[in-house]
Amino acid sequence: MSKLFPKSANKLPLQIVIYLVVLGSIATAAVTYYMTPKYTRVGYAPVQPVPFSHAQHVGEVGLDCRYCHSNVEISGHSNIPTAQTCMNCHSIIKKDSPLLAPVRESYAKGTPVPWVWIHTTPDYAYFNHAIHVNRGISCVECHGKINEMDTVTHMQPLSMSFCLNCHKDPAPQLRNPKDVFNLDSKRLYDQGPQGVAQAVKYVHNWKVMPPQSCSGCHR
Amino acid sequence: MKRKFEHPAPSQRELNGPKYWRSLDELAETPGFKAQLEREFPEGASTLEGVDRRAFMKIMAASFALGGVGLAGCRRPERNILPFGKSVEGVIPGLPQYYATAMPLRNAAIPLLAETHQGRPTKLEGNPTYASFGGRATILAQASILDLYDPDRAKTHLRRGAAISADDVTALLADVSKRYSSGEGAGLAFLAEQSSSPTRARLMRALRQKFPRALWAEYEPLSDEPPIAAAQAAFGANVKPVYQFAKAKRIVSIDCDFLHAEAGALFNARGFAAGRRLTSPKDPMNRLYVAESALTLTGTMADHRLRLASSHMFGFAAALAVALGQQVTGIDDLSSYAAGTEVKPEWIKACADDLREHAGNSLVVAGAHLPVEVHGLVYAINAALGNIGQTVEFVQAEPTSAASITDLAGAIKGGSVKTLFVLGGNPVYNAPADLNWSELQKSVPEVVRFGYYVDETSASATVHLAAAHYLESWGDARTIDGTIVPIQPMIMPLFGGLTENEILARLAGDANPDPYELVRTTITQIAGGDQDHAIRRFLHDGLLENSAYQKATVAFNARDAANLFRGARQAAPVDAANLEIRFAVDHKMDDGRFANNGWLQEISDPVTKISWDNVIQVSPKLARELGIYPKGSVLQVARIEEGELDSLSREQAHVGEITVGNRKIRGPVHIQPGLAAYSVVVTLGYGRAKSGHIGTGAGYDAYALRTTDAMYIANGAKLSITAERYALANTQAHWSMEGRDLIREANYTEYRDNPTFVRQVGMEAETPPTVGAVGLAMNAQQRATEIPRGNSLYSTPNKQHGGFDGVNQWGMAIDLNTCIGCNACVIACQAENNVPIVGKEQSLRGRQMHWIRIDRYYSDGEIDSAAFGGEGNKRLPEDPQVSLQPVNCQQCELAPCEMVCPVNATVHDEEGLNVMAYNRCIGTRYCANNCPYKVRRFNYFDWNQRQLDSLYLGPLGPHGMPELVKMVKNPEVTIRMRGVMEKCTYCVQRIENGKIRHKVKVMQEYGADHVYTDEQIRVPDGAVVPACAQTCPVDAIVFGNILDPDSAVSKAKSRGQDYQLLGYLNTRPRTTYLARMRNPNPKMPDYRNLPLSRIEHNRKNEGENGEPTEKPEEHESKAGSGHSAMTAVKRLGGLS
Repeated sequence: MSKLFPKSANKLPLQIVIYLVVLGSIATAAVTYYMTPKYTRVGYAPVQPVPFSHAQHVGEVGLDCRYCHSNVEISGHSNIPTAQTCMNCHSIIKKDSPLLAPVRESYAKGTPVPWVWIHTTPDYAYFNHAIHVNRGISCVECHGKINEMDTVTHMQPLSMSFCLNCHKDPAPQLRNPKDVFNLDSKRLYDQGPQGVAQAVKYVHNWKVMPPQSCSGCHR
Repeated sequence: MKRKFEHPAPSQRELNGPKYWRSLDELAETPGFKAQLEREFPEGASTLEGVDRRAFMKIMAASFALGGVGLAGCRRPERNILPFGKSVEGVIPGLPQYYATAMPLRNAAIPLLAETHQGRPTKLEGNPTYASFGGRATILAQASILDLYDPDRAKTHLRRGAAISADDVTALLADVSKRYSSGEGAGLAFLAEQSSSPTRARLMRALRQKFPRALWAEYEPLSDEPPIAAAQAAFGANVKPVYQFAKAKRIVSIDCDFLHAEAGALFNARGFAAGRRLTSPKDPMNRLYVAESALTLTGTMADHRLRLASSHMFGFAAALAVALGQQVTGIDDLSSYAAGTEVKPEWIKACADDLREHAGNSLVVAGAHLPVEVHGLVYAINAALGNIGQTVEFVQAEPTSAASITDLAGAIKGGSVKTLFVLGGNPVYNAPADLNWSELQKSVPEVVRFGYYVDETSASATVHLAAAHYLESWGDARTIDGTIVPIQPMIMPLFGGLTENEILARLAGDANPDPYELVRTTITQIAGGDQDHAIRRFLHDGLLENSAYQKATVAFNARDAANLFRGARQAAPVDAANLEIRFAVDHKMDDGRFANNGWLQEISDPVTKISWDNVIQVSPKLARELGIYPKGSVLQVARIEEGELDSLSREQAHVGEITVGNRKIRGPVHIQPGLAAYSVVVTLGYGRAKSGHIGTGAGYDAYALRTTDAMYIANGAKLSITAERYALANTQAHWSMEGRDLIREANYTEYRDNPTFVRQVGMEAETPPTVGAVGLAMNAQQRATEIPRGNSLYSTPNKQHGGFDGVNQWGMAIDLNTCIGCNACVIACQAENNVPIVGKEQSLRGRQMHWIRIDRYYSDGEIDSAAFGGEGNKRLPEDPQVSLQPVNCQQCELAPCEMVCPVNATVHDEEGLNVMAYNRCIGTRYCANNCPYKVRRFNYFDWNQRQLDSLYLGPLGPHGMPELVKMVKNPEVTIRMRGVMEKCTYCVQRIENGKIRHKVKVMQEYGADHVYTDEQIRVPDGAVVPACAQTCPVDAIVFGNILDPDSAVSKAKSRGQDYQLLGYLNTRPRTTYLARMRNPNPKMPDYRNLPLSRIEHNRKNEGENGEPTEKPEEHESKAGSGHSAMTAVKRLGGLS
């Protein structure tokens, strides 16, 4: 029987396997890089209409998060302050700053300042701020050290696996409720064995059972 | 407390275009945006003007580069957060707000709470402050929110079809006001709807003063209150009745659909259910006798139902009065009137005896459509029974000073009307046909029409004024008992609509009326005291305390009432040659005003189960005579269906033609069991010639048959069958339970002796309990947490296996004994859960999306044990008993759907909910196939993004949801896309929000160092209520935590009559049903020892006649009736 295949064909299966592995790796890497929240969202720091600096207002002036995000403890949505909130101070301080022109205009005319939305979950996932901040999850867990940021930057992927990591084992992320809005505070787990014991105790005493089933977040 | 909005005069642009936002530029009114508005397409969309090829390549190269580097298409689009400029009191982004308002409808408003999300009303609930309605709402109130966002509503004021501005309207009204002031209003006429608004009454007085010679007429195509003339004759006072059904132990309804069609139906239904609900065998139960021609919701609840032509109701009432004795009227013999009425004397006698035994606790009611003499006689009967002041109270009523539409027609014919204002209503469509209103209206030189839609009446009017929806405007109204309620706006008029009050005020000479001030003036005048406090209280509570009509003490005056009876006509004969036409109130269209409401069009009528159409209903007997009796289907086991079906099981109805005198209408004929033999029932409100996309062309117009002398009942009609066929979207062609145990029923006496009779009915009676003998003794809580396996092959996700460990375990109980089948739950669910409509075309294919449906079954006790071919299986029941059953997802603990899902898209959560993850679903539909309850709904198309008339065009059809339609969607619930399965979630969004609200509350209350118990973390009973349960007028649906033994649902489930639907499948559903009881009178000729569905069940399973033979001597005696009940039970092998 004549040779149907040349000798070099013996290597073909191996070549195909190598080729597929390389192609698969490239595809995986590409999808991971271009399509997962860890890479698509983290680092997102859009230019805002007013260059508001959290570092200045929280870090230097010492405003509490809840001065502006006033409903975070009762509402699922953490509100962005109205221009009126800004004007409480800025009608006295820097009242002629050109950077604040959009705020003054908004206050005068009632038209909103178009802040660019940074942290968000998809429309089919219903995140609720109130329950998290009331049960010892600090802002910093999802938003990072906002108090040190001049420009707010997306720090965590906020993907489903990010949520579930904590929902499966909430204790390591817990803080003492009075430290929730203190972004420089440490997690209980980082406060030595006593802190660890306290976190475990909180989980038990408060009956913390973060939902891991679909209905917790998807409706 | 609602803040007062200053309504600015709308600009020219607002009048010509929609007022809801489209982009920020529009708000900013940039010149560029204005220019864009003027061009149909944005600059440069169709041409490359001013851009040469090189520039184009440069721009595109740059964007390709951007696209390549950043893969911009994969990134989320930039979105903005838009906070208010100035903080708004009470507005918390993310939390809904609730305001008190009310839906006006004729003389009785429904008090409501409107849920708004950032100023956008999305859902209506009953206002719990108004105790009579208990925070419940009707189907029409639930659906009315959709009208607010109807893209087809009138968007501008029009003069002869061309848009005019608000200033033009102001000028027009000022001109009319000035023109007619010299002649004291001679030549000016109004045609308005009935209204209970105190502000309108006040403005009318001012208008009368200014224009004493103007003609004010009112017309309502449907009257839902007994005529005051009858009360005037019977009692010599202007009063109207308020029925206390809760106190009535024996009720006789004379052609009166008091559970749906009458004013105050919600109050009546609640009272009726209160007298019917059985929480223990010791509870008393009322008994309902109904005589009616159509099969109404009230008729489905009847313990004894008499089919009788509507025109013979006076004869029936007379026969009843005669049987009760001469003292009823104190006048000469009434029996001559009773002659010719086909009622068995024993029926009347037993009914009368029963009433007499319960004198003072009984109630006789007559339908509002019946002539005055029937009402007079009913008052006489109630007076003789001592019911007045007990079960029927009277309140002061003002007789209307308005002229009738006939008077107005006379004036127009006489040429004395120069300017006609048509305020609301739609007379060209629904005025009596003999007035020929459309021609009349054309003969008036100037017709100003004020209406919500540009409809038939607007078409021939000089000027059309766009009306505001009641959720956009200030107003007031009275409820059925006269309590004044506010109508508060939730949103500024989307299209600059006006209110009736504004128009009247302008005509009366007020140059710049403010709708809020008009209401405020009225209310503060009535309330007295501190004005600010009074109005704040009024708006906060949603009602004005102590403003109900004054109670009247009345005495029956036999002599004056007798004049009424002497005027009564002898009933016309009703037979095959002289059919009776009964113009009935449609379940959902009202008088036609809801014709363009997609939710209402798509819901099935609870009795006929037909959606998107009205039908000519005929009895099976008449059908046989007409030669359209169906020949039987292939499947004998399904008995024969009501109409003939095509290969897709679509009802292919014969088109019939009704002739009364020289008037004719055509419509599809539907054979409806339970009708009086020669009564033909037509419902009003369909067949709109000029409505919106939804309403135009649905059904046939029955108003064309209606004349001023036969508004509700027409005699001497003929019905002929044409060769035409018409497909009807009948959602339940299959109407027999086949002798199965889906709905378990018993007579009240049997239930008292054997409260757990449900366990001896059906498959469970013959098989070992699925939860084992031990489980049978457990309550729902223990069963959910302590029985790991049942007898199932599959392991239950119980605590030991890492499931069902939530502190709340949700469950639902549905009381079939009080459910009246009103469909309010279905619409409430649709509004809450963004359930789309699919249109008639897809409804014909059975693709409706409702998450809860109401099943309707007939039983006549005639089914044969032989599944195939028995005689009893081949007949349509003439006089069936009706059983209704709401079915939603049963949330099975061992859910068959979960076992077949290849992608785990439907799984259980720790609180016992069968959840559906839309994003995982790949649309295999295995789950729907495996669901024994058929409650899963599949999105065959992208109902939300595609238009219903171009579904099959696929990507070629228009895409996207209109902004206006988006506004009605509940932001708490995902909008589902094509290709995914969906179903009832027990309103999981309300559950999750309720849990979070409660946990936040206790954390803030007890602090971090507290050790929380299960009881403290658990949501308190009643804090989470699904939409269906919240609106159920009769509290038939109870929802809550079955781990809490004191919760309402645990108590309901622990009642003896609680059973699982298809429980033998061991699905262990979390939704269970409470059996239905009937309370027949053993002395009645049509008494049966068992409900007909049970007789069918026994015949099917036992092969005998199904009914225990001995009849108890005295139904009150426990021993007698118990014996017969036990016989039936023992034969079934129960009570082991």
